[in-house]
Amino acid sequence: MPTPLVLGALAVMLAGPFPWALSRWHGLRRTPSAAMLLWQSTALAAVLAALGAGLSLTTDRLWVPPVATSDVVVAFLAGAMTAVVAARLLLSGHRTGTSLRRMRRMHRERVDLVARVDGGVSVLDHDLPVAYCVPGMTGSRIVVSRSTLTSLAPAELGAVLEHERSHLRSRHDLVLEAFTVLHLAFPRWVASAAARQEVEVLVEVLADRAAVRSGERRALLSALVALAGSSAPAGSLGSTGSSLAARVEVLRDTRSHRSQAAAVVLLAAAILALPTVLVVLPWLTGLHAG
Amino acid sequence: MSPRSRTGELEQAVLETLWSAGAPSSGREVHEKLADRDLAYTTVMTVLDRLVAKDLVVRERDGRAFRYAPRLTRAAMTAELMHEALEVTGADRDQALVSFVGEASADDLAALRRALADLG
Repeated sequence: MPTPLVLGALAVMLAGPFPWALSRWHGLRRTPSAAMLLWQSTALAAVLAALGAGLSLTTDRLWVPPVATSDVVVAFLAGAMTAVVAARLLLSGHRTGTSLRRMRRMHRERVDLVARVDGGVSVLDHDLPVAYCVPGMTGSRIVVSRSTLTSLAPAELGAVLEHERSHLRSRHDLVLEAFTVLHLAFPRWVASAAARQEVEVLVEVLADRAAVRSGERRALLSALVALAGSSAPAGSLGSTGSSLAARVEVLRDTRSHRSQAAAVVLLAAAILALPTVLVVLPWLTGLHAG
Repeated sequence: MSPRSRTGELEQAVLETLWSAGAPSSGREVHEKLADRDLAYTTVMTVLDRLVAKDLVVRERDGRAFRYAPRLTRAAMTAELMHEALEVTGADRDQALVSFVGEASADDLAALRRALADLG
């Protein structure tokens, strides 16, 4: 079997048309945990298939004698391509990681200097309502402003804080970071922008779900109205592409989607497992035999 | 959420002193104001230097010593943080902070209000 060809085609599929189609399937958001799994396995499988295609092409040409000059040239080019893909990923990962961590540390340090701490939450003395979290390995913070405390009812505030705690607990920042790394490494030709945008929606949906689980939907929705209604800059009203409408839609949906969730999880597992079993294992076995 | 470090707490105390001073202070003055904390003078100077390195405090030469002042008032630093939190640049730095809710369109708000109304 022409392993490089199969893996190459798979990489192209998983990097382009498949995520593009996924990002248009809005019903996927109704099963956010399964959807998140599917996005992650798709991204991982795409990267592995791309690296595998290059590597297997290199070995295909060099392992089986006789090795002609053209084989060496093709193997060299394939190897170089693989190295470029890997290097871009590593470089992008390094850059994104360092700059995010630096921005977060600088922000957190200043929050600690000016905010008062109330029940584990940092409170900024300001008239605009705001609620956000500063993720971090060495110290995360949930930050709200004084106006948020005064304008939200206790149940609403509870929902907001639970939403933020869920972000921190589930390390949503790491998921977002991984997709940012992919997008910065391969900004064009692959559907990395759509993937990242959809994952951004999914982490919000997941945090909303967590907030609703321990409280009531009404509190979360009215907190969203209170904070979204006042914090948007006047000039930005009417802009599109926000995740808010998607979050509201999922919050309104109280039906169970067990079968969809199960199917999506299976698909996620298959995307990772099938290429490994069908293509990569035979190739590795072939290498040993040869 | 990890507790604040002792260094962070010291930095806060030193910055509070500078904020309440109203005018640039010398290291000696800051040290005196923090007398009840029983800190070594060199500790205070180290903290001041660190605040300068972080661009939170500016220093100016005064004879053979330096005088220190906060780069921003407390309110201005709060405003700066609020700006970073609310800012929607569309760029990658947006992901440094994770907001409860970002930019909302008129349609978004209408959808939210409908959802609330449906709950009865």
